[in-house]
Amino acid sequence: MVAKKKFLFGLKADRQIDGDKMNREFSDRVMAEGGEGAAIAACMQCGTCSGGCTNIDRMDMSPRTLILMVQRGEWEKVLKSNSLWLCTTCYICTSRCPRGVRPADVIEAVKAIAIRQGIENDSTRFNQIFVELVQKRGILFEPELMQKYGGLQAMLEQAKLGIQLTLKGKMSPFPAKIKNPKKFNEALEKAGKQ
Amino acid sequence: MKYSYYPGCSLHTTAKEFDISTKVVMEELGIELKELEDWSCCGGSVAAGVSHDVGMAMAARNVALAQKQNLDLLASCSGCYNKSARAAKALENETEKDRINTILSKMGISVSDYNIRVRNVVDVLVNDLDISSRIKKPLTGLKVACYYGCLLTRPADITGWDSPVIPMSMDKLAQACGAEVVDFRSKTKCCGGPILVSKQEVAFELTKKLLDEAKSLDADCIVLACPLCATNLELRQPDIEKKYNVSYNLPVLYITEIIGLALGIKPGKLGINKHIVSPKSVLAKLGI
Ligand code: SF4
Ligand code: SF4
Repeated sequence: MVAKKKFLFGLKADRQIDGDKMNREFSDRVMAEGGEGAAIAACMQCGTCSGGCTNIDRMDMSPRTLILMVQRGEWEKVLKSNSLWLCTTCYICTSRCPRGVRPADVIEAVKAIAIRQGIENDSTRFNQIFVELVQKRGILFEPELMQKYGGLQAMLEQAKLGIQLTLKGKMSPFPAKIKNPKKFNEALEKAGKQ
Repeated sequence: MKYSYYPGCSLHTTAKEFDISTKVVMEELGIELKELEDWSCCGGSVAAGVSHDVGMAMAARNVALAQKQNLDLLASCSGCYNKSARAAKALENETEKDRINTILSKMGISVSDYNIRVRNVVDVLVNDLDISSRIKKPLTGLKVACYYGCLLTRPADITGWDSPVIPMSMDKLAQACGAEVVDFRSKTKCCGGPILVSKQEVAFELTKKLLDEAKSLDADCIVLACPLCATNLELRQPDIEKKYNVSYNLPVLYITEIIGLALGIKPGKLGINKHIVSPKSVLAKLGI
């Protein structure tokens, strides 16, 4: 058997940005999600994004690889990667990328696609509850977020801090809300389903 | 100068001292703040990762309300500032503007053509005002570690008024107040705020590194402008101490609080008594 050709003119073949390996379908979807992930095709695989990434040590796929996988349309790999949920949206990658690729925005768009595809874990659950609660009143009520996400256990763990905050006048037992939460909620509910 | 002031969810709750000190300091410096009427949550770092349009609409709603008041929007919270500035930029793009408008119109709000600027309180304090001539009580002898985190200065095309990699604005402000600024290498490293709940261990580890460095530099306190960073660095400090069996006892103050002190404003008026990690050691060092 002939060994698979790994290098081509000094470039690792699997890192080459060769047109025929690109699969626009996924990139297009990421772009359609919105934001500024539009420069995916410009990635030259330099790895600068990975070099500065906050959580790269814990990620199963570096931001650089993730961009490559998006370029190639490797859906399953991207959607299954824990990198999506370890990314803190800290924009270090985006600030450093020499090609204007905006990996943080790409990851943000992929997260939204993953949630719509039904991927579930602690992070997707937290993110969805967060959005749901903001939609409900327009203003976040943190104790409710803790209760919905972590149940009684989380409430108990946070009880001491909660009491301290209440005593300092920094937490009200009653949630605040905007003037017309119903309309706010309906408009966003619809937008989120599209 | 007059601004439409956007406090956001945190400044009305866990970061009340940031709200109080922003108002007092701005008033002292002759800046008028008019709270944005009927403001809503900006969606934080989470909403756009659930749906881009929902995240953008949440943040753009406040920008649209500020447009109605014909005033630039001023936010103290780095997160609210960043997301609002991002929305304001998106509104300059026709496609995005249409998408956002469709959602906001269902709320009975419309985006106008009146472009406003979104500013952060640190930007205004360092670039528009001259606090050095107003210092009454220099913070002589106080060693501070200025922590910028992520959203105050990144990404540069949304913020643009300070370096995304080596920002200096808070260092300059603290120096103008007479404090000694330590060389805090981790000042733009992420504290893990957005994953604090879903990946607590990771967030604690990231925050611990920041506390360790500030402590090793012998800083008397950390100074910052983000309530989410403060949640990690201050409110969760006891949890981190317990988990790693260490002791920091490191006060965390908002930049507006230390400026207020230097302007000669009484700590009580700045809300300094509202901290969970007591800033008594800081006040003692200043002889207040
Ligand atoms: S820094 Fe930019 S160009 Fe380099 S690998 Fe990352 S996304 Fe690609
Ligand atoms: S935004 Fe995400 S991918 Fe980029 S450096 Fe930060 S954690 Fe890493």
